[in-house]
Amino acid sequence: MNRYRYLLKKTGWALLTILFVLVLNFFLFRILPGDPARALTRDPRMKAEAREILRVRFGLDKPVINCFETLTPLKLGDCRVNPFETQFFIYIKNLLQGELGISYKTNRPVADILAERLWNTVLLIGAGQILSIVVGVAFGVFAAWKARTAIDYGALITGLVAWSLPTFWLGIILLFWGSTHGFPIGGKATPGSSTYPLLYQIGDVANHMILPTLTYIIVYMGEYMLVMRSSLLDVLAEDYILTAKAKGLSAFQILKDHAIKNAMLPIVTLIAINLGFTVAGAVQIEAVFSWPGLGGAIFEAVESRDYPLLQGTFLLIAVSVILANLIADLTYSYLDPRVQTE
Amino acid sequence: MKIKTAFVVLLTVLALVLSACGAIGQAQPVVMRIGWAGSPDTLNPGAAVLTEAYTIFTLVYDTMYQLQLDGTFKLSLAESVSVSDDGLVYTYKIRDGVKFHDGQPLTAEDVVFSYLLYQNTEGYPWMGDYTYYFENIEATPNNEVVITLSEPIPNIDAQLVFLYVLPKHIWENEDPVEFENVAAIGSGPFKMVEYKPNEFVHLAKNADYFGGAPKVDEVIFQTFESQDALVQAIKTGQVDMITEMPTTAVETLKQDPNIQVVTGAPFAPSVTDVIFNQVTPENCPPDDGLCTGHPALLDRNVRLALAHATDKQKIIDVVLLGYGTPGVTLIPDGLGIWFNSSLKDYEYDVAKANQILEDAGYKDVNGDGIRETPDGSRSLTFRINWPSDSIDSPRLAELLSEMWGQVGVKLEAQALDPDTLTSVCCPAFDFDIIIWGWGSDPDPNLLLSVMTTDEIPTGSSETGYSNPAYDELYRQQASELNLEKRRALVWKMQEIVFNDVVYIIPYYEQNVQAFRKDRFTGFILDQPKVELSDVTSLIRVEPVR
Repeated sequence: MNRYRYLLKKTGWALLTILFVLVLNFFLFRILPGDPARALTRDPRMKAEAREILRVRFGLDKPVINCFETLTPLKLGDCRVNPFETQFFIYIKNLLQGELGISYKTNRPVADILAERLWNTVLLIGAGQILSIVVGVAFGVFAAWKARTAIDYGALITGLVAWSLPTFWLGIILLFWGSTHGFPIGGKATPGSSTYPLLYQIGDVANHMILPTLTYIIVYMGEYMLVMRSSLLDVLAEDYILTAKAKGLSAFQILKDHAIKNAMLPIVTLIAINLGFTVAGAVQIEAVFSWPGLGGAIFEAVESRDYPLLQGTFLLIAVSVILANLIADLTYSYLDPRVQTE
Repeated sequence: MKIKTAFVVLLTVLALVLSACGAIGQAQPVVMRIGWAGSPDTLNPGAAVLTEAYTIFTLVYDTMYQLQLDGTFKLSLAESVSVSDDGLVYTYKIRDGVKFHDGQPLTAEDVVFSYLLYQNTEGYPWMGDYTYYFENIEATPNNEVVITLSEPIPNIDAQLVFLYVLPKHIWENEDPVEFENVAAIGSGPFKMVEYKPNEFVHLAKNADYFGGAPKVDEVIFQTFESQDALVQAIKTGQVDMITEMPTTAVETLKQDPNIQVVTGAPFAPSVTDVIFNQVTPENCPPDDGLCTGHPALLDRNVRLALAHATDKQKIIDVVLLGYGTPGVTLIPDGLGIWFNSSLKDYEYDVAKANQILEDAGYKDVNGDGIRETPDGSRSLTFRINWPSDSIDSPRLAELLSEMWGQVGVKLEAQALDPDTLTSVCCPAFDFDIIIWGWGSDPDPNLLLSVMTTDEIPTGSSETGYSNPAYDELYRQQASELNLEKRRALVWKMQEIVFNDVVYIIPYYEQNVQAFRKDRFTGFILDQPKVELSDVTSLIRVEPVR
């Protein structure tokens, strides 16, 4: 009973948040200064009529919403227009129909672009996440086990330094280093390799992933290491660990059977939250290594004021973060039933 | 235990995969890999805006004329042309036996279909302008295309050079604006193999091309989002040529014995200009004009003094690290014969600049180091703005501020969002000085038009400059059919705006590109313009044996 209500409440909040994001997502980009029809082509060959046709095509000729013609510059308009003839409600209506619009710059449906790029990002960031979790947790356990020794301090400093390295800078350094050691430095596969044998193609993509993934692991493993270390140290100070020691269990057994499992809870939360952001990609890593993912799409869309593409990517990211959080909440309630009653 | 096994499996897979990489590599076709920092916005020639798209179009499609690297036009798809005496009717004989990449023949029908499509599709941003003078377009049974103009124009070649000939049998079934045209079936020297937006464009040679088959089998344009990656890619041989690079990388690349760095006027010339607001109250656009420019800028003496106070060589050395030539007027040296090479620039002479201002009555009355207008009402303090997305402008503004400070002129510098800049610029004329730029057609008509009185209310004129003599010459050159006479008119116009100091043009930026000379040879390097990825070069490039 209680559990059912908890589920309902969490799902309800998630839906509300998504709705809020939808609205914010729309108005945020309308408040930014700039006219996309102008940004599209600042060229004397582009006559005023042609610009007007573009505006009509992208629906920019309609009022933003009732009472407002445009938001920046703020221009009030007629309040009695049909709401379904305003940009806002057309946007909502299209979303409900699964239409994300047409990218201003590339003239392609936003949904197509996102579908292509989502997979690339999930591949790269997913691999980076999993490896940084594995490496980070392993180092964290090791450091906690060897607490307050040279190894622990060494791991701690390494973790802190790695965590605070600027991603862009590290990426460039690895790019310089990698390029002289034969690693590919741009794109996700060798162009023109799509006719080669599948095994070669897989190897080729893996080869292209090495440098960006390495960058990702170095930057993100620090976080997992630090959380795992402190969480495990807390657990190791518990009385039942002392009991286990008194029973004569080996250090390995204590860690494996008694400590790590209990120390994993904060890590699970962290993983769930970070998985949500996986979709956002790592804008900087994708930009340095020309990885054709969502991060790169955001970068390009900002440059060219491609509102539909920006809205699409932001929506996708927001929804996946909210969903990941929801899953974390639900998993948590399963792992630790006390959460439901709070 | 489990983790260990998984790790061993992973290593084994990795080893297998890496050995597979080594196995491939026998009897490969000759592939030229080109790195660039952009990607076409779309492969639909009517809808495309970016230069990268046009680079691909000229490789994949044919046009009536081909633009050469010396700036002239050569008949390409047409083997001959005849013009009626009144200059209104052009008859082009299309080459026989030309085929599209899918094997279908290309005839005059396809040409007419394409031109009409460009003219009649309202959603195409630029094509309406290139087809503006076409009154009637017809095909004859003799594989000829007859174009009737509404008035005689001197530059039909420059209009036709961007009108790519599309296969009617494909395009007649598609929505002209929304069609993505990923297969890009054309008839040019290269055919599309695969296109991945923002990743690469993969082309292969068209062995049947009427102008002779290219000597390389495949050309791949690969997108690199960071310029450092681009430089590193050519250094390590991951690409064979790069179309752009940061000027800071030029010296290091020049040290490499396998790489040749080339510089020259760009194929598509662009101009950076320092714009003075010169709109007079009479010419202030009635609807949109605010016209708040500093009155001193209406005085030629002030503009002339500023020109003498501008050390262009220093600007080029600092901003472009030397890769530019001093600018004279809005018509850049990259426009070949249209560029008035006889004009001698105002020499950099601070004393002379000070003297001009002194003589014209601009004196520093209150002793604060800034001159005042002769009536003493205002100091020579100018606002200067530039688009915030420009990398070079902040440095340029800083240098101008320093240089002009020596003649008692103060600048209040501020970067503006490009759209805000558009709204203060024109036709509002709510500024004093702006640093901005133009891209150019191969024909000078476009850039000449922005200094005419007619363009003040439309927003194309950035200066508000108005000179009836110039306007008259503009009209004459726009209908002068004799090339030599038109050139003389165009040169005269440049002389007028140069003497009136309508703009200060700090520099004409050069194109800086590089290729692996240990791998490929045959690029066209002896022409006034440098563009390694141009079709005229790529068709004759061959591997070093």
